[in-house]
Amino acid sequence: MKKLISLLAVLTLVLGVCACASAEEKVYQVGILQFVQHPALDLATQGFKDALTEKLGDKVVFIDENASGEVPNCATIASQLVSKQVDLIMANATPPLQACTNATGDIPVLGTSVTDYQAALEIELDGNGATGMNVSGTSDLAPLDGQANMIKELFPDAKTVGLLYCSGEANSIFQVKKVEEYLTVLGYECKRYGFNDSNDLASVAQTATECDVVYIPTDNTAANNTEAIANVMIPAKVPVVAGEEGICKGCGIATLTISYYDIGWKTGEMAYEILVNGADISSMAIAYAPQFTKKYNAENAAELGIAVPDDYLPIED
Amino acid sequence: MNIAQLLNQLPGAVAQGLIWGIMAIGVYITFRILNIADLTVDGSFATGGAAAAILITSGVNPWLATLAAFLIGLLAGLVTGVFHTSMGIPAILAGILTQLALYSVNLRIQGIGTDLGSRANVPLSINKYKNMLVSLRNVGSFILENPIWLMLFITLVLIGLMYWFFGTEFGCGLRAVGANQQMARAQGINTGLADIVGLMISNGLVAFSGALMAQYQGFSDVSMGRGAIVIGLAAVIIGEVIFGRLFRNFALKMLAVTLGAIIYYLVIQVVLWLGLNTDDLKLLTALVVALFLAMPYWKSRIRTRKRKGGPAHG
Repeated sequence: MKKLISLLAVLTLVLGVCACASAEEKVYQVGILQFVQHPALDLATQGFKDALTEKLGDKVVFIDENASGEVPNCATIASQLVSKQVDLIMANATPPLQACTNATGDIPVLGTSVTDYQAALEIELDGNGATGMNVSGTSDLAPLDGQANMIKELFPDAKTVGLLYCSGEANSIFQVKKVEEYLTVLGYECKRYGFNDSNDLASVAQTATECDVVYIPTDNTAANNTEAIANVMIPAKVPVVAGEEGICKGCGIATLTISYYDIGWKTGEMAYEILVNGADISSMAIAYAPQFTKKYNAENAAELGIAVPDDYLPIED
Repeated sequence: MNIAQLLNQLPGAVAQGLIWGIMAIGVYITFRILNIADLTVDGSFATGGAAAAILITSGVNPWLATLAAFLIGLLAGLVTGVFHTSMGIPAILAGILTQLALYSVNLRIQGIGTDLGSRANVPLSINKYKNMLVSLRNVGSFILENPIWLMLFITLVLIGLMYWFFGTEFGCGLRAVGANQQMARAQGINTGLADIVGLMISNGLVAFSGALMAQYQGFSDVSMGRGAIVIGLAAVIIGEVIFGRLFRNFALKMLAVTLGAIIYYLVIQVVLWLGLNTDDLKLLTALVVALFLAMPYWKSRIRTRKRKGGPAHG
């Protein structure tokens, strides 16, 4: 036992010396915890890494982890990143953000692809839009009023709008509630079609075809099953307006979209400010997408015979 | 790779293992004692988290909230038990049905007090609810707030309670039902009632564990129980394979299950530390569980072969 202890002591010492030797040229360790393998989240992570790599070159290493959609993995990985004493954690989506903020009160945690920080962390943002604690980041809040106006612009004669979303996703419910308010003001009758998972998605979508137009928010389950939705909506000739480009590409007609790569990049810039320039994360305001773009799915629009105004860009492959 | 880092990560694995260990004892009760594979747990784990989260956010003492989660878990087990015994639905299907139903129930529980009446995720931040029983925040420290101490205490008390219960006349009857249903019925034991009570206790423990997990990770989420049964089974089987020879006593067998859960999380932590891409984590989990499931079978094969080859001795 004594031998073991002394061995450990020596080992710690050696490691300590190694750590000191490399301190001259500080290499930043950045932990990334992404919730699930998903095109939009992948893009945000990519944007984050690209931004930091551009600014720091080889002076940053990423510990890139993915919870594979399993909630308990978030706590496992969060505690792992904290015990590795990384310099900063990037939490991609709501459950990772919650697990990471709970795992540490010191290490800066930057979120991305989180829609509503106040709801996710049960806090009030201060006057500047900062959290007042070791958390900041970027929101993927889509311009919901703009999307409601887009429905008005494209389908002025429609009466009912079906809202198709996964009832298990906090972000989707939040968006549906908001967009419903905007659409009601514009004179539409809204109906909610919440599905539980990919298994009942097709049948719920089938029911939603009774509406004149269907709206899908930035919903992870919908994003992963656009083909199933398209197979219902296109034959029924019901146009879909989507909350983000990925869903629109799969089954939609048009979208007013943010770029997840952009918000990831923005998060990377915030990370640089914190790591290198010593910015105080607790007073950093939550950032939003820098720009919105009107886009349309040319193939589906032609299929349904819908003419789209000139300021819409076609979605490219 | 740095061995000091790995050592730093171990407390997290132990704490999480202890929380899942309680869930695994619940799985042990159905899977080993009653001889039923109960899939309700994926739902009741989240139900426990949902109930505790809603109670804690509305100001209830976390101890009471966690106990309430246990009681709601009993109800979940009761539903599966009724499906199975009074409606004649095969146990595995009854569990799947309850699990399915609980998804909606959990959305509604979490939605209590919101204007939508349904919510997918309830935050439970340690910054706001400082009196929560366990938190990921304190897992690296040596202070008394470290969740490991409290989890050890809770685990030992629970094992003690289960040991006492399964030693009572009713508890012994329950074990007899799992061992040999026909024989138990011939002895005048109400096997249907035994199944129901077993399922209730099991899901009560699972929900209790879910309540602790929600506090530990700092939120409750409707999908937090996804894959719980796999972790529970893995813990039961790892515990049996490693400690089966040593631990014959019933209380020790439950302890073995807890140790199994800790070992499960230690393995995951080490594998992550070795640099496994987390995309492959589920594949690895399935392989680990399959390997441990196969071990008793392989052992018995080797034993029979030896017996056939060697001299006859009974």
